[in-house]
Amino acid sequence: MAREYDTYTDDVSTIKEGVEITIAIRETDIYRTRVVKAIVSSNRKALPDGDTLWVRYNLGPLRPEPWSIKILADVPGLLIKKAVGDQ
Amino acid sequence: MAHKDLREFIAALDKAEHLVKVKQEVDWNMEVGAIIRRACELEERATLFEKVKDAPGVSILGGPCASYARMALAMGMDAGTPKKEMVKEFDKRIANPIKPMLVSSGPCKENIIKGKDIDLFKFGVPMVHDGDGGRYIGTWHLIATPDLDSKWVNWGMYRQMVHNETMMGGLLLPIQHIGQIFQKYEKAGKPMPFATVIGSEPLCAMASVLSPAAGVNEVDLAGGLRKEPVDLVKCETIDLEVPAHAEIVIEGHVLPGVRVDEGPFGEYSGYSSAPRSPRPVYEVSCITHRHNPILPVSNMGVPVDDSDIVCTTAFRNVATAALAGLPVVNVDVPAYGSVHMVVVSVRRAYSGIAHHVASAIWGTKLGALVPFVVVVDEDVDVFNLGEVVHAIVMKCHPVRGVHPQPNCPGHALWPFLNFHERHWGQASHLLLDCTWPVDWDPNIEIPAKISFGTSYPKDLQEKVLKNWGKYGF
Repeated sequence: MAREYDTYTDDVSTIKEGVEITIAIRETDIYRTRVVKAIVSSNRKALPDGDTLWVRYNLGPLRPEPWSIKILADVPGLLIKKAVGDQ
Repeated sequence: MAHKDLREFIAALDKAEHLVKVKQEVDWNMEVGAIIRRACELEERATLFEKVKDAPGVSILGGPCASYARMALAMGMDAGTPKKEMVKEFDKRIANPIKPMLVSSGPCKENIIKGKDIDLFKFGVPMVHDGDGGRYIGTWHLIATPDLDSKWVNWGMYRQMVHNETMMGGLLLPIQHIGQIFQKYEKAGKPMPFATVIGSEPLCAMASVLSPAAGVNEVDLAGGLRKEPVDLVKCETIDLEVPAHAEIVIEGHVLPGVRVDEGPFGEYSGYSSAPRSPRPVYEVSCITHRHNPILPVSNMGVPVDDSDIVCTTAFRNVATAALAGLPVVNVDVPAYGSVHMVVVSVRRAYSGIAHHVASAIWGTKLGALVPFVVVVDEDVDVFNLGEVVHAIVMKCHPVRGVHPQPNCPGHALWPFLNFHERHWGQASHLLLDCTWPVDWDPNIEIPAKISFGTSYPKDLQEKVLKNWGKYGF
């Protein structure tokens, strides 16, 4: 059964489609964060065997059309970033 | 008399008919949040959810102090105590801190979980609002962090989101003590120990939102509020002490140099204004909890909720202390202002008094985070928001009475800031001077106030009051 995930970005062009990427996603059944190697596509037909990936804006609103995600492997831990301002 | 733990407080809420017990199963995924939010907006009672989906044995207490009546009960006072009376009692108790007492064990040690058994999801942690960045375990709690180079232990209420079974994220704002302490650890390349205390008796949580000077332990203020010491026990994996009666204690370290996306979250301002951003990470090393733990949840949003009640009372305490020595009559931080507005009434003593008042408030650590200061004459009851609004629209000149203060500190949670300002905490403040200018002649320039108390001779007022019932009212 297809599973559902979501991720956050204000700029979808930062998510590279059709190639292997490392991305932080949430399992939307329990809202657990996972970091995975995956292939994603905004065109669900281009990745027919993929799971559903919802994309949210950074302030929370959901984009209406879900993407597709094919998870290749889990990456241990969280997706570490640099501090900028700490606000 | 202080409550010994959260359960005794819940019993007091129940006895005073300020509690709804929900027996049917509720979903942690927004249903709990929606119920608490609606209850807040209807100024309803606190809610005890006795059966939470996926969390056998766990209960959730919604909106523990989301009304002045509940706050009064937390302080051991009558639920009907007027706000004016209660906040003054609050100030009195804060002025008399009591040191804590170390005890060998306590109810929070009934279950001790370490290593691979740690699972933050097992506590029925709610997804509070749609669009939140995760499930927030820390909404009504306190986080204890030790200073790096002194014996100071800071307590504060800072939001905490669950990333996974063992990791949490949160805002550690540089203007807050936790952020300043963390900066020291990070500079030294050391992890910062923390203990999240969930479900203490309510006065400990209330003390944690106070903002005394750096070096002052909030646990002493909690003792003052309780009028008796807080019993503390040692943590299992870090060198910290926590309230023995707590429902859940989460121990661990905040990792230096590590940031992971956290948020957004529906906040005290009534908006979700800080976008998902890289923020510090709490790594959990141990969880201790009582049997059948109770998770208190505050659902912040538009007023009135726990933050609007408790944080405004704490801010009022700070502002009152900052104004000592000035010709101030009364101070209030109205709940509907969500900690963003202080109202001060003053005696008509000297020119520039409104600026003097505003500068004194903005000069404090906590006051710097109150963007609106309203100064009124002493005839305005600061606790009556209707009178305050009337003073603003009738006595504050739209140009001469309005004094913007640019280049002030702020933070990402202020909805009126633009994206860049939110990111860097760049803000402005505003003083509304609603006092009659000192150089206006009272007989010539100051308009006569029209009200029952000011527009009729005293003997006539007394006659009307005496006969009020006889008139048919």
